[in-house]
Amino acid sequence: MSTTISDTETGAAKSQAETGAVRARRTRLFKKNAPSVILFVIALVWLIPLWWMFSLSLTPNEILQRDSQILLPPEITFENFISVFQVGLSGRWFFNSMVVATSTTLLTLFFSAMAGYAFARLQFPFKKILFPVVIAGLMVPQETMFIPLFLIFDAFGLHNTHAGLFLPRVGVPLGVFIMTTFFAAIPGEVEEAAQIDGASQWRIFRQIMLPMATPALTALGIFTFVLTWNDYLWPLVSATEREMFTVTTGLASLQGNFAQATELGALMARGVLASLPLLIMFIIFQRQLIRGISLGSGGK
Amino acid sequence: MVETDSAHVQAESAPKDDQGRGRKTARPGGSKERFNPTDLGAFGFLIPFLIAYALFMLYPVIQATVMSFYDWDFLDTTRREFIGLENFRRMFWGTEMTWSAERLWPLRLLLLLMLVPLFRAMRKGSIPKAPAISFAVLVVAIFGVWLGFHPGEGGRWFDSQFWLSFGNTLLFVVMSTPVIVGTGLALALALNRGGRMVGVLRAMFFAPYVLSVAVLTLIWAFMLNPGIGLVGIFGDWFGADPINMLNSTTWAMPAIVLATLWWTVGFNLVLFLAGLQDIDTQQYEAASIDGANAWQTFWNITVPGLKRTIRLVVVLQVIYSFQIFGQVFIMTRGGPDGATRVLIQHIFERGFRDFELGYASAMSIVLFVAIILVSIVQFVLLPKEDDA
Repeated sequence: MSTTISDTETGAAKSQAETGAVRARRTRLFKKNAPSVILFVIALVWLIPLWWMFSLSLTPNEILQRDSQILLPPEITFENFISVFQVGLSGRWFFNSMVVATSTTLLTLFFSAMAGYAFARLQFPFKKILFPVVIAGLMVPQETMFIPLFLIFDAFGLHNTHAGLFLPRVGVPLGVFIMTTFFAAIPGEVEEAAQIDGASQWRIFRQIMLPMATPALTALGIFTFVLTWNDYLWPLVSATEREMFTVTTGLASLQGNFAQATELGALMARGVLASLPLLIMFIIFQRQLIRGISLGSGGK
Repeated sequence: MVETDSAHVQAESAPKDDQGRGRKTARPGGSKERFNPTDLGAFGFLIPFLIAYALFMLYPVIQATVMSFYDWDFLDTTRREFIGLENFRRMFWGTEMTWSAERLWPLRLLLLLMLVPLFRAMRKGSIPKAPAISFAVLVVAIFGVWLGFHPGEGGRWFDSQFWLSFGNTLLFVVMSTPVIVGTGLALALALNRGGRMVGVLRAMFFAPYVLSVAVLTLIWAFMLNPGIGLVGIFGDWFGADPINMLNSTTWAMPAIVLATLWWTVGFNLVLFLAGLQDIDTQQYEAASIDGANAWQTFWNITVPGLKRTIRLVVVLQVIYSFQIFGQVFIMTRGGPDGATRVLIQHIFERGFRDFELGYASAMSIVLFVAIILVSIVQFVLLPKEDDA
């Protein structure tokens, strides 16, 4: 507060001096805060659809059949959430998504950190050919590969397995790109000192480079987890048995069946549970996720 | 933490600069120019990823290209026959074909006009870029002429659904790109002045991005239903006749764009905000001393400073828009009357409902080439960062 007052006294309010200091201060306070307040209101409106999903998930289905155009549940129930785990396979889908997203993330981190380190810091034959070949993969859309991938996984009998769901994403070079850029930016003196001490490449990687890369790895990890959790096309093609659906394909399959919307609340509860892990992760790791985007400029 | 910015800047220049960076990254690290046996140790770090990359990326791309020249039925293993360009003929050709100058003329004129800047870029462009641009020139020229072909009296396309879904995909790209990029930019400009609130506001606008496509469709399919969703209330306010946008051939695609805007605008917002923060604040101070108004400041400082980011966001947005699938497939199944049927749905159904994997591969290659082509054209046509 005190800074605002001194600002007003010293600063730009001079032009309005004749109208009186109090009024000037008020105008200035308003001018300063009005854009933020307006934006905040817009942002709240922006989140209404999300809020609506949460509200409906807590409202009894009987009420929703009469009126679902509400912002607050007239009556709160947890029936809808309990039903998620009693009826249908939603619990199983949740488990599948957890396994698949976690496996993809861990493998991607492991592979990308090592390959990124090699590309950024080590000398080896054919490097000048290999790196562009790997990075060129960034341009290839998933849709170009999914038919041959389908045949490969069919040949190995890996459809409708967790491995079939998490393996294809491990080959995506986005992580390598991010980690190479990161490791290339570390000054050379760091490892030269270690080399003089006779440390092996592996030890330099594990004990010096990897700890330094923690922020980049966190960003990459969160980003990969979100993308994998939300993957739709590949799980749709590969996991055709209902028990092997992920949360995303499972929830999509319910939307056809629930068309009559007699159990809108139960459906919304499934939507809430499908989003909750990601929303919680987003709230905790917001910075890292946004950095992952800036680093990779990758996307859905 | 310090590395973030430089990494971010480099990341933005992908994929154009990858060769340059490859050279740069090759320099530091080891002290030796010639490699000795221990250098092979590097492959220990590389092998896990390279195996995954070769198996799940490189091989599939090559295989998809090969399959596009085959009649390849998934169930009937006797149908694995090399048929040359037959799959592409099926896509782009029909019976009783005629050519007329006026068919789709605005689009074709636009394509042919694009040849001018492309030619210019080819002449002054550096050698490594030349093949890509010549390729773009060739394809743009061919299509400028080719699109004049259409089935004449009593004729039909071999696969009219291909043209329908390809056209709808283009329609989505053309509708969604200005809306989503423009909104992202407007929000970023507004937020950039938001002071202490920036972080909170950014998070609020970004939050829908982390939802999965199935949650997006769950929310919006019901939101847009006038009997169930909140949109019905707006209808009541304005006294408009409640229509279900998703059931209307006119409004279904705009509804998909609206849902996609809500879902993904946060992504562009984040990139634009990062770009805005890279602009030197002294420039703004200088402008305000010179008495520039908000509009002049925007055009003379913000836009030039953001050129690089704008280019990146537009190119990425177009690439993502070409790949639209989940939203429409779950919400409308391509309906009503095929009004929202998009190319990936067509590929998916030909491949995994009809098991015509050869034809589906050919279409996926066409999609890939279209994306690459449009990206090249954009890189040539959109303003360069070094113009400033």
